[in-house]
Amino acid sequence: MEGAPALMTDLDHLIGTLSAAGAALHLDTTDLCFLIALRSRADQSVLASLEEDVLYDVYEQVCDVLGDVEAGANIRLRATHAIQRLRNQRMLARVDGGGLLGAGEYAMTRLAWSIVEHYVAEETLTRESLVLLTQALVTHTQQVFKAAQVVRREEDWKASVIDPLRVTVSDLLTGIERRQRGLDAQQEAIRAHIGGLLQRDWFDAIGASEVLLRETAGTLEELNAVLLRDCNRLHAVLAEIGGEAARHGMVDAERVASRVSDQVERVAGWGASRLKAWSDYFQFVQRYLRAVVRLDPNRAMSRKLREQLSRWDERPFYLVTAAEPALAVMREPEVKPERPSVVREARALDPTVVDVTAPYDDVPLRDRVRGLLGGRPGGLAEVVAPVLGEAPDAQRYRAVGRIAALVVEGAAVDPGVDRPWVRVSADLEIEDWAIQWED
Amino acid sequence: MEQPYACLEDVVSDGFFPAVDSALRIGRHVDQEDFEHYTFLSDAQPWLEPFYERYGYELVRAADGYFFLVPAVERLPRRHMTVGEMVVGQGLALLFLDPSTLKAAGVVDRMQLVQLLANLIGEERLSVAINPRRKRRDEKVEQAIVRKELDRALRTLAALGFVDLLEEERIRLRAPLLRFAEPVREQDDPIEALGRMVARGQAAVEPGVEGAGVEAGELVDDEEGEP
Repeated sequence: MEGAPALMTDLDHLIGTLSAAGAALHLDTTDLCFLIALRSRADQSVLASLEEDVLYDVYEQVCDVLGDVEAGANIRLRATHAIQRLRNQRMLARVDGGGLLGAGEYAMTRLAWSIVEHYVAEETLTRESLVLLTQALVTHTQQVFKAAQVVRREEDWKASVIDPLRVTVSDLLTGIERRQRGLDAQQEAIRAHIGGLLQRDWFDAIGASEVLLRETAGTLEELNAVLLRDCNRLHAVLAEIGGEAARHGMVDAERVASRVSDQVERVAGWGASRLKAWSDYFQFVQRYLRAVVRLDPNRAMSRKLREQLSRWDERPFYLVTAAEPALAVMREPEVKPERPSVVREARALDPTVVDVTAPYDDVPLRDRVRGLLGGRPGGLAEVVAPVLGEAPDAQRYRAVGRIAALVVEGAAVDPGVDRPWVRVSADLEIEDWAIQWED
Repeated sequence: MEQPYACLEDVVSDGFFPAVDSALRIGRHVDQEDFEHYTFLSDAQPWLEPFYERYGYELVRAADGYFFLVPAVERLPRRHMTVGEMVVGQGLALLFLDPSTLKAAGVVDRMQLVQLLANLIGEERLSVAINPRRKRRDEKVEQAIVRKELDRALRTLAALGFVDLLEEERIRLRAPLLRFAEPVREQDDPIEALGRMVARGQAAVEPGVEGAGVEAGELVDDEEGEP
């Protein structure tokens, strides 16, 4: 531990120096966003430094994005102060050699880069952050599953299953999705960076481009592997929770579990789609490096092709290709099964009327009703009930109507307003009519 | 290293042969994006070169990683690309070479092509080149003709394996587009390089010479008549 006292001395010295100089950092949200936007602009333009006008432009854009309406009138003045503040805190440095003539040119210092890097990395998915998040997700979901196995009351389901799924698990998934967007932006930047490298250094950029491609492909493969593994576990646990909820008739809990499962599916789908997209890009760039950059190290081909195209009408030429008519390939004969067409059955225009004699003849029914009416019954039911008892089962319903008609023919019937329902057989009831007899 | 095919019969018996043979004979270029067909051709090349030679074709394998057939004798059907196809092809080849295209993995949109051609050739010269008639018509009609010819050229180039047409007027560029840059590839004079291409039957300097009854643009459906 010989170095410890020396370190302490250095540390004391450093702290003393900082204290004496009154070193401090003050960054409000606008300044921080301004720095992040400057880095993004520098990345896009592949520039190490930015002109003063660009700084003003970027500041204006940041104020627009932040919805800072008050900045509108004196935006340039505010930008000037922001630039000055960042310079005072050694986050921006002038690199135009004094800047006595013309507009200044600025570069971000290492301090500013580190701060921006920290915030960008926070929003970017790495293997570490993904493993951490997915493990937390699996743990939370398993706890919810354990709770789902023991709770019985509806309010307990809400407190122990629905709310944790809706809030904690959803928040963690949203965290992953937010970082996915960060990684998407990072990949976009890498693609732009590779394009910029080739634009600037052409043949000399091959090595750096290949390293970037390989590293990014490796990162994506790792992320996808983690996503595949943990998403499968998550799906299984969520299905169990959904099953428990269904068993206890907890529709809300089942619905939330299903929604979280969809969210997990989306996260996994993102991983697979990005891996595929990067794989396509990887192959395209590798072919490009091989077919274009290596074969044209001086980049003369683009220039000469541009010239060839612009003067093509002076010296035209036409590529020749083979042009045989496509072969007529004989197909295998296809034996189709005979399927008779569906037609309506033919009907005669003048259908023959078949006389079907009712098995329950009217004549004996008429005689039987007349006989019963001779006994001066008080109501319709008194006639119907004995006759129905003699009728075949299938004819009883129709017979009631016939009997009623015969009663009306043979006696004075008063249906009245209030007609009681009277049972006349085991399965039939009728509205009874009173029969009036003259004394 | 062991040869994948012991004889020509093995090559012809391969399941890929009918599709690859038909594609090459109608003028399609087979590149590494058609992975299985390209691998088949790479493996079968020693057998297929003499095979096609007997028909009067030359099987060409370009350094950029694609195959195509060139008719080496007069009697074989061939097609010369039209003015529109040549202009569009060269424009797309320029976009292919541009490193900024890398960001989108070689996918460009139609507007980029139109802007490039307008900048390099100029709208009027482009219109004259594509539709060479003395009497100029209304500007809108001329623009419509140019647009139609560009569409037609893109469809033909897609059928020949130079590009893939995607949704929303986007175009995926493929390695065979570098054939359009062949005259300027070498260090020497482009005219001499072009002369060599003509001598090998890969290019012509006369327009509209169609062979064996195969008309330009026959590969694609000509849905509309000329306005």
